[in-house]
Amino acid sequence: MKFATITMFVTLACAIITTITFASPEKGLEIAIEADSRDKGFGDSTAQITMILMDKYGQSTERAIRNRTFEGDNEGDKSLVIFDSPGDVRGTAFLSHTKKSDSDDQWLYLPALKRVKRIASSNKAGPFMGSEFSYEDIASQEVEKYTYNFLRDEELNGLDCFVVEYDPVDPKSGYKRQIVWMDKSEYRVHKIDFYDRKDALLKTLTYEDYKQYLDKFWRSNRLVMINHQTGKKTELLFADWKFRTGMTERDFEKSALKRTR
Amino acid sequence: MITYCARFFAIFILLVQPAFAGKVNGTLSSRLDFYPDHSKGTASEGRSAEVKIDAFHDFDESRIVGELIFRWDEKDSGRRITEARQAYFRSPFAGFDVFVGNRQEFWGKAESKNVVDVINQSDAAANEGKSGKLGAPSISAERYLDIGDLQLWYISNFREKTFNDSDAHPSSGVPISSAQYARKDGKDADDFAVRFSSFAGDWDLAGSVFYGTARDPILSVNSNGSALTPHYALQKSIGFEAQYTGDVTLLKWESLHGTQSSLIGAHDFAATVAGIEYTFYGPFERIWDIGLIGEIQHDDRPQAAANQFGVAGVRIVFNDIADSNILFLASVDRKIDQSFVSLEASRRINDVTSIKLTTQFYNARTATSTFGQLSDDDAFTLTLNMFF
Repeated sequence: MKFATITMFVTLACAIITTITFASPEKGLEIAIEADSRDKGFGDSTAQITMILMDKYGQSTERAIRNRTFEGDNEGDKSLVIFDSPGDVRGTAFLSHTKKSDSDDQWLYLPALKRVKRIASSNKAGPFMGSEFSYEDIASQEVEKYTYNFLRDEELNGLDCFVVEYDPVDPKSGYKRQIVWMDKSEYRVHKIDFYDRKDALLKTLTYEDYKQYLDKFWRSNRLVMINHQTGKKTELLFADWKFRTGMTERDFEKSALKRTR
Repeated sequence: MITYCARFFAIFILLVQPAFAGKVNGTLSSRLDFYPDHSKGTASEGRSAEVKIDAFHDFDESRIVGELIFRWDEKDSGRRITEARQAYFRSPFAGFDVFVGNRQEFWGKAESKNVVDVINQSDAAANEGKSGKLGAPSISAERYLDIGDLQLWYISNFREKTFNDSDAHPSSGVPISSAQYARKDGKDADDFAVRFSSFAGDWDLAGSVFYGTARDPILSVNSNGSALTPHYALQKSIGFEAQYTGDVTLLKWESLHGTQSSLIGAHDFAATVAGIEYTFYGPFERIWDIGLIGEIQHDDRPQAAANQFGVAGVRIVFNDIADSNILFLASVDRKIDQSFVSLEASRRINDVTSIKLTTQFYNARTATSTFGQLSDDDAFTLTLNMFF
């Protein structure tokens, strides 16, 4: 019994020392920069998305969305989300110009009025289309939006992973921190634990069914977000990925919202 | 009747859809109105149905767009309409996007009233708010520059504002007679407009010029008081729009300045709406958003119900799966003589059905004021929308 107690104490001490030794903001930032650089050069992309919203009783409802993204050079990416269903939001479009170190610019197109409306972007913690994804979850992830801390190496689903803490820079973020599991070979995110502002575990996002495109760019085709506090779940199923389609920056200006179909 | 319409409509969509490569959608709306304060001789309730068909077809870089409205009303012939709200051909030409045909366009920033929104005539009889417009028969061109967007408009024919029947709601209770025009070509007179819009940082700005027939007529009582005559003035105006988008605060401005001359007089005018919208995101640890709206309207045109209105409102967005939301607006004029209160609440029932409840109440101390004449037009409206 005494030996077991000593062993447990030593193991715990080693774990603490290991954590202290290897917790590193510099390494965390290096990993984030490397992950970002590996996705550079995709140009533009389009995808069809099915969003499945499930309540805690397992009842579900679906949304159909199209996503278009244009890779930014000096600033962040630009993205356009078009809603195809349900019927009452059909034709509505959401345009976001992500900024690396400032608030994003966002516009909404309301088809009944033919109105392009600039909207405040501080709603980043709010739910996107009533789902468990918030606006900041679906926004382009830029390196400058977080500070980092490498925590440890850990195996996840048979893959050697870095475990890195992402701390949002923006105080309007709905999260105090995010714990991200990223595989060491391809720098793909496999899991994120989101902690709310009170540092309680709020949500877990898992990335599944990764496929590589243009021999370089990895995209997950199934994202599952579980809200631990409400028991609700949202799945995003991606299909029909296309890259370098010939879209231009002009297709992501606010005037393009009116022409979107 | 509505069931019959739904069946016919669904079959129509199925037949037409293949020709448009699957890009035909439709909406069937059935609506019930209740008028609790109806006076003798005016309707106590109304039933109507509207079919809207949206279609587009792309070939190369060009596009044909159609948005057709068929509205049936049991009693109010003013609300019955067959309308091509949009029916245009769009194609690139010499660096411009050129549009030929009926178009619907929106200019403006404010919530309670858009004084710079001059392109389309209002389908006022529809009583559907800002979306109730008549298509503008036009040739227009848009150019998207690095510094902003330029629009040029030529509108070849004038569309008269729609009015409800005199025994329907809202209505002054007096029939509308034939319109009178300041311009000798009447409905055939041409309108011209130009707008330039841009944004820089947190600011969205726009300026516009309009020369043509004023959309809103001046109503005058004829000699024996049996009818109202709409007088459409010649309008020359410039418009300004600005919006500042802060973290949680939006500041909005739109103003229209110019002259109107009609057969019953000429005058310079200014119309302005200035406002603020402040949103609390996720207050009380719930996922809803609560927006507070405050706007001041100034309008010295004779068409305005009063020279100045103050508007206060609340918008609640529940951010739930059903997209439930509520908008409450209350307007009162400077003399506290006239007021108007409206409430809109809507939510989705399922993927193909949504429901909307609208209420509107008019109050006036003076019976001869604009809202005084609408004293029996308080209404509760229930609209069921089905999407195909």
